[in-house]
Amino acid sequence: MSTSAGGGPLRTCVVGIGNVLLGDDGFGPLAVEMFRCRYECSSNVEILDLGTPGFDLAPYLYAADLVVIADAVHAQEKPGTLCIYCEDDLLARLAPLRLTAHDPGVRECLARLRLTGHAPSEVIIVGVVPESCDLGKGFSPSVMSTSSVAVDNIARLLVERGVDCRRRHAPVPPNFWWLSGDEQSKFVALR
Amino acid sequence: MARISIDPITRIEGHLRIDVEVDGGTVQKAWASCTMWRGIETILLGRDPREGWVFTQRFCGVCTTVHAIASVRAVEDALQLEIPPNAQYIRNLILIAHALHDHIVHFYQLSALDWVDITTIPKASPTRAAVIADGVGAWEGNSSRTLEDVQNKVNGLIASGQLGIFSHGYWGHPAMHLSPEMNLILFAHYLQALEFQRKANQVVGILGGKTPHIQNLAVGGVMNAINLNSLATMNMDRLGMIQSLLQDLIPFVQQAYLVDACLLAASYPEWFRYGRGAANYLAVPDLPVDAKATQFDLPGGVIMDGNLGSVRPIQNWNDQALRSAVAEDVTHAWYQGEGPQPPFQGKTDPDYTDFHEDAKYSWVKAPRYDGHPMEVGPLANVLVGYASGHPLTRKWTDDAFKTISSLRGPNLTPANLQSTMGRYLARAIRSAMLSDLALQHCQLLTANILKGDDTTYNPPVFPQSQITGVGLHEAPRGTLSHWVVIDKGTFSNYQAVVPSTWNASPRDQQGVPGPYESALLANPVADPSRPLEVLRTIHSFDPCMACACHTFDASGREIAQVKVL
Repeated sequence: MSTSAGGGPLRTCVVGIGNVLLGDDGFGPLAVEMFRCRYECSSNVEILDLGTPGFDLAPYLYAADLVVIADAVHAQEKPGTLCIYCEDDLLARLAPLRLTAHDPGVRECLARLRLTGHAPSEVIIVGVVPESCDLGKGFSPSVMSTSSVAVDNIARLLVERGVDCRRRHAPVPPNFWWLSGDEQSKFVALR
Repeated sequence: MARISIDPITRIEGHLRIDVEVDGGTVQKAWASCTMWRGIETILLGRDPREGWVFTQRFCGVCTTVHAIASVRAVEDALQLEIPPNAQYIRNLILIAHALHDHIVHFYQLSALDWVDITTIPKASPTRAAVIADGVGAWEGNSSRTLEDVQNKVNGLIASGQLGIFSHGYWGHPAMHLSPEMNLILFAHYLQALEFQRKANQVVGILGGKTPHIQNLAVGGVMNAINLNSLATMNMDRLGMIQSLLQDLIPFVQQAYLVDACLLAASYPEWFRYGRGAANYLAVPDLPVDAKATQFDLPGGVIMDGNLGSVRPIQNWNDQALRSAVAEDVTHAWYQGEGPQPPFQGKTDPDYTDFHEDAKYSWVKAPRYDGHPMEVGPLANVLVGYASGHPLTRKWTDDAFKTISSLRGPNLTPANLQSTMGRYLARAIRSAMLSDLALQHCQLLTANILKGDDTTYNPPVFPQSQITGVGLHEAPRGTLSHWVVIDKGTFSNYQAVVPSTWNASPRDQQGVPGPYESALLANPVADPSRPLEVLRTIHSFDPCMACACHTFDASGREIAQVKVL
């Protein structure tokens, strides 16, 4: 891993993945927007809502030092459970063929980058188990209440690795452009 | 008689199930079923047409750009709004770069492993492979040193006992018959393709601000500020970056990708006999070169019954015959409604019944053109271009045919392209054409800016009355159309007729199958438990079943099931 003068990773990406039109599947974009509003990072940290990237994910992972991916995660746990995986957790499981370009994608992307020698030094997935991925329904209460904890965990993971990431004195107002006014106001309390 | 059900088809975008009946080693009947609801248009109703594209590009993770473009074009069509030439060129460059990215990914990452058996690579001689590759093209990534490196990587993978993402291939299948050297060459390019698809993406990123989900569009043009004296806007530096990315990318497309497609075509000549499909073709003109969109660099047209002589050119997006010919039939799709509906009156009300092959069996509607199923995509594009005498199409098609016969492959005519292998080849031909056009549109943009034109946007004005519009785009997978009705400045209907709806269409009222379904007929199946041949034909269309739910599956479950019933 290349490190900055302060000892932290040089190129860091915090990316949110998910379809904002499909309810809790939009957890990733939600989490990165909340993170951006609550925390301030140095300029070597890219914070991006990548939506549904498929093969477009590779350029963001390419040769990065640290990548944190926020995403909805299908796991056995209850909806709203926060699940944090490191790369070994992913690779320890049987790697199935990629189902769709939007679907897992992450694992295939990493495997290919590794084969070509350009994999990121460290990848962490901060996931939440969705309750409902229905069209245009906004977020369910369980995912909404976990999102705040998830965001603080992203910051903790970065700080532990020496990334310059500080809580803002005054949070920036979020822009959840895909939600209706009613839905947006539910997040004001969480700020 | 064996019945095979493959659910889902892997290495595609989205969820697709294919059922085939096999007798005497060939497919007798086939059904294509999309297993995810695509009713996402309903989310647009009541919204401001100026922001429609922001939502439509979230339909899907692969075709984001194309839905954004089709949406702004639909609203501009409804308003009869011209867009400035700079905006046309910037959009065109984004479309071309996106298409090149998409086609490279399809050929290498999504379909090459149907033809390339990586488990034979340890037996290859890198020196001999380098000689073979040198004999067919000038690509610089074919040195014996490079090929040896790739072979070592594959040896490492195999020795570790974990093929990882490659562990589910149909390795050793009797229908795979490339030499170890050819497999090595193609797999080396598979790895190199990962580098080059990035370059295509960077072009989209520079112009669109971000990819996926570009940020620079507007109804009326683009939001890129042009100022040659400002560092923060579109200036000669940025244009230079785009040009140099394209100059890196183009040799890979024209010397590696196209040549690899020719190698496959020469090595698997039997695949020009299978997979003919609906044999009706539709392509719309794209890459407009003027503000009014009267002249296009890619031609459109309609071909019926595989008869290239019968081509009816589509000159521009106002083609009334096209606008009145399209209707969607839901007889075999899980929606309510009777008979074919023109898109402006189209509805998306679900009526799910489970899979009934004689009744409803798919979430995909059946679009028809004057009542006929149509194939769309690169094959339609190349056939229409060739048949209507488009010089660039002819140049690259003839070039590919010459390369294939020099490799002791079959002597081909354009009519032979109507097949599984023809689709792979047509996609590569189209990519070579798009590469030439990329440089051309980069020059058009530069020249127009140097002339002193910095306009990129004409503001839209919405009337109180009801207006309708159609946004057409020849996307990587074929003809895409967005049909919008706008009432008092908000959407009151929105229907997207997407390329994979045309191709993956179920049967219609008359029981006529869609292009996937007819392309599978008479397809060989050597081993029903490993139906590789079915995948080859389906993958040849580059299926994208739009708007899959993107969630990460951490449970490591088996993804594809092949059931022999």
